[in-house]
Amino acid sequence: MATGGDIPEVPARPDEGDRPRVGVDEWVASVEDRREERAGIAGLARRVDDVVPSWARLAAFGAVAASLPLWMDRGDLFAYGIFTLIYVLLGLGLNVVVGYAGLLDLGYVALFGFGAYFYALLSSEHYGIHWPSWVTFPVVVLSTALLGLVLGVPSRRLLGDYLAIVTLFFGQAFVVFVNAANPTVRGQGLTGGPNGIADIDANDLFGYELTTRRQQYWFILGVVLLVLTGLHFLSESRTGRAWRALREDPLAAEAMSIPVNRLKLMAFAFGAGIAGLTGCMFAAVLTAVTSGNFALPILITIYAVVILGGIGSLTGVVIGAIVINVSFQFLAPENPQDNARILFYAVVVLLLVIGIRPWWRLGAVLAGVLALGVVAHTVAEAVSPSWTAGAVVEGGRLSGVVSDWVIIPAGHDRFAPAAYIGLIVAILALTRIRGWWRTGLLIPTVYLSAIVWETSFVEQPAVARWILFGALLVFLMTVRPQGLLGTPRVEIV
Amino acid sequence: MAEKQPLFELREVTKSFGGLRVTDGLSLHVEAGEIASLIGPNGAGKTTVFNLVTGLYRPDSGQILFEGRSIVGLAPHKITQLGIARTFQTLRLFLNMTVKENVMAAAYGHTSSTVFEAIFRLPRARREEREIAALAEEKLAFFGQRLAGYRHDQQAYNLSYANRRRLEIARAMATNPKLLLLDEPAAGMNPAETHELTELIGRLRTDGGYTVLVIEHDMHVVEGISDRVIALDHGVKIAEGTFEQVATNDRVIEAYLGLQRSA
Amino acid sequence: MGLPLAFNVELFTQLLVNGITLGSLYALIALGYSLVYGILKLLNFAHGDVYMIGAFAGYAALSLLGGPLSPNIALAPLIILMFLAAMIASGLLGVVIERFAYRPLRDAPRIAPLISALGVSFFLQNSALLLFGAQFRSYDSFVLGSKNPEFFEPGPLTDPLFVVKNVNIQLIQVIVLSTTVGLMVALTLLVAKTQLGKAMRATSYDREAAAMMGIDTDRVIASTFFIGSLLAGAAGVMFGLLFSQVFHFMGFLAGLKGFTAAVVGGIGSIPGAMLGGLLVGLAEAFAGGYLGGRWSDLTVFGILILVLLVRPSGLLGTPAIKKV
Repeated sequence: MATGGDIPEVPARPDEGDRPRVGVDEWVASVEDRREERAGIAGLARRVDDVVPSWARLAAFGAVAASLPLWMDRGDLFAYGIFTLIYVLLGLGLNVVVGYAGLLDLGYVALFGFGAYFYALLSSEHYGIHWPSWVTFPVVVLSTALLGLVLGVPSRRLLGDYLAIVTLFFGQAFVVFVNAANPTVRGQGLTGGPNGIADIDANDLFGYELTTRRQQYWFILGVVLLVLTGLHFLSESRTGRAWRALREDPLAAEAMSIPVNRLKLMAFAFGAGIAGLTGCMFAAVLTAVTSGNFALPILITIYAVVILGGIGSLTGVVIGAIVINVSFQFLAPENPQDNARILFYAVVVLLLVIGIRPWWRLGAVLAGVLALGVVAHTVAEAVSPSWTAGAVVEGGRLSGVVSDWVIIPAGHDRFAPAAYIGLIVAILALTRIRGWWRTGLLIPTVYLSAIVWETSFVEQPAVARWILFGALLVFLMTVRPQGLLGTPRVEIV
Repeated sequence: MAEKQPLFELREVTKSFGGLRVTDGLSLHVEAGEIASLIGPNGAGKTTVFNLVTGLYRPDSGQILFEGRSIVGLAPHKITQLGIARTFQTLRLFLNMTVKENVMAAAYGHTSSTVFEAIFRLPRARREEREIAALAEEKLAFFGQRLAGYRHDQQAYNLSYANRRRLEIARAMATNPKLLLLDEPAAGMNPAETHELTELIGRLRTDGGYTVLVIEHDMHVVEGISDRVIALDHGVKIAEGTFEQVATNDRVIEAYLGLQRSA
Repeated sequence: MGLPLAFNVELFTQLLVNGITLGSLYALIALGYSLVYGILKLLNFAHGDVYMIGAFAGYAALSLLGGPLSPNIALAPLIILMFLAAMIASGLLGVVIERFAYRPLRDAPRIAPLISALGVSFFLQNSALLLFGAQFRSYDSFVLGSKNPEFFEPGPLTDPLFVVKNVNIQLIQVIVLSTTVGLMVALTLLVAKTQLGKAMRATSYDREAAAMMGIDTDRVIASTFFIGSLLAGAAGVMFGLLFSQVFHFMGFLAGLKGFTAAVVGGIGSIPGAMLGGLLVGLAEAFAGGYLGGRWSDLTVFGILILVLLVRPSGLLGTPAIKKV
């Protein structure tokens, strides 16, 4: 609409860096940041987290979880249901130590192992002791808590990094002790050496034995709900606040009347107690324990559970456990490989869909990948049939398509490792390049990833699992260290 | 009439770090109900005095008495529970906690509900929570509109610099102390904020009933608030008295300006 | 487990020699930890796996040059090439790891680079497993350089160079020890005399101030990682030459012990890493010899715990004084 004189241009939105703050109320000034925080899937999750009251969330989770045995078969219930709940509990326990009190305990899994082994010693054929659960549970939980307390004693003198080292070594020492040292007590090895302890009794609810998967699942679920409730109340109490203050700044906390050392020990004891409790149920469900159940990879998995959801958040731990365990079980070597294959391609496509903004660009990339595959496959076949003669591992719905699209050579032993290294280089390069070059590089990278999947990963799914897990950890930390539901923390470095 | 016992005093306190003697046979005291200032050039040992009193450092020799009893060797949180609270020169807030939570956290020392009571939500724990929340609101209200209302639920890292300093004072107040140690509370503040702070420190005594010891460099503040001024240099007390007395003292001038007044 | 009734000089000397040799390895690994911690205050948990990759790189060089049973070149250049391959591969790997897994996390909470390092460790270990398979690869150092390797005639590496108290000191042990000493001297000179060394020291004291003084801290940090990883790679090849076996899991335990050495000696201190490595190597050798193999690891762990409880800054480290 034309008027006389110059209408000043509406100023463009100021750049992040030069928005003036002087004289503007901070609450108003930070409205952009808050809007940003609410955006996206993580924002949606956070909004749900804030709006829905905690008891409603707990009830919803409980209801959904309780219904699982009604439509899952025993095997799935064991792998997906029970194991997820175990990781929830372990994550909750670790969350008390790391999330509430800010103490880096890298030996947590050894406390879990101690609980499991102690329960096994008290309720199995190993020494012929068969105490009922209403005795073993308190005994194991309290002694594990005591052990956690002992582990925490050095923390009064050690700063964060050193505490991490000492606890890490404790965790290692536990595995070595159980495996190799295995001292002889009452005629046989205490911990059963590399074979561990077998024939462990089931948990019993005041005499009523929990032998079926359903019974065990519902029992563990009940325990989980109780622990969640207790931790929630604990977090809101003066102790929870004191822990958070301790995590922020131990020196200032102590100056503000908070008995820092006592609280650290309490955190260790609490976390350890939960680990011991979980150990009891874990040993009973598995009916056998070995040191492999309590080694470093398990510890890192527990950490991933806590970190993925966002340290300090109870909801986050539950979500983290579900995501991590379900993905792991899905990719388990025992599972048929076409599951894993479909999941892989689905995830790749999903990542592309989320990551590439304008629709036409996404379409171009997908089309490019398909075209590249067809061309490469044809050329390779023409060069020599041996280049595409390799068998696609484990049939399944996609295998027909895959064998005509992906280059899977037979006999060229150096190809698979070279493709793998090429893929790593390509992915690293992708993080450094911008613009059209990046989109262009994306196409051969996706194709390479399919090659690597079909030639290396499907053949060694267990190894592939850990590779992807390690890569995920690095990716998660570099991109979003606060986890899905966490808010970015301000740290005094 | 028996001599009134000072609220707290240092007697011949010496503290060294390596070869550096930070305080050297230092003696000073603060009477109950007064506002005293601790001044001196940088490196004089002022913050060290605070750290010694609050138990962060242990003196090599000498006595530190609070209400007549020695507090040397006590853990810092115990000393705070006895009635001494402080703020920090470099601001040490619990940045990722809300304003209200920062203040509530400091109330730990004079509350007593156990973990057991918290988990089972027993009445005593619930009642104490309400009391702590009320206490926090009361202390925050001391600062008028500055830390009121919507601010309570803001993360501490969102606060402006001046508000952070105020929050730290509110947090120290929540420990229900008898003695407040403020370490350079006006540092980095503009004249308007400094003026407001000067009034605030006065109100800490009249409305709050606290005894206050302030480390300050801004002489306007020192002049405005102090009943008594103590001047330090190189770990030794060089002057003590009213502001006029200390400000015109030769040794104090020399310590700050390094000049000798010509005869 | 049986304590010798009489003090056996021969056993003692043998264990001493073994301990010193082993200690050299741990010292080199410890230096990597110390250098990185000194400059970034970061515990690089992936360091042990860089050592493992170095050992494999040496193996790959050996295979490319014909393999232990039919080497195409003489022993001396062979070993030199293996060392070079391992050191360069490890050094570059260290730089890449720093660039992608640690640099974005410079200002993140302390737990983030720790978890990232563990992720890198998993990634490297399992990648080696994927690429090389689970079976142990062998340097066959026993036959390296011999005139008739196909007949498994021993090569010169295990020949005794000289004899002390009835104990053979093998050529390979002398090579390991002298290479270690040479590398350490080079490192000390680098840190003390060169421009880069000065920049490294400045950055380790105060990164921001160093940047403000015109030091390219990113380059300095990358160089530090390169040097530390290079030393680990050398240690990897040494392990292969001494014990023949290389496998994907070897970085884990060696890393832990190298780490122990760094902490015992005082993390952040170069002479401390050397001293710590020596102590850990001797402890492991003597514990293994006198108490039995299964207690050697636990003894090393015990020493770590003891040092951390009694003197957390390590033997040669300086206790940090915080200014409040």
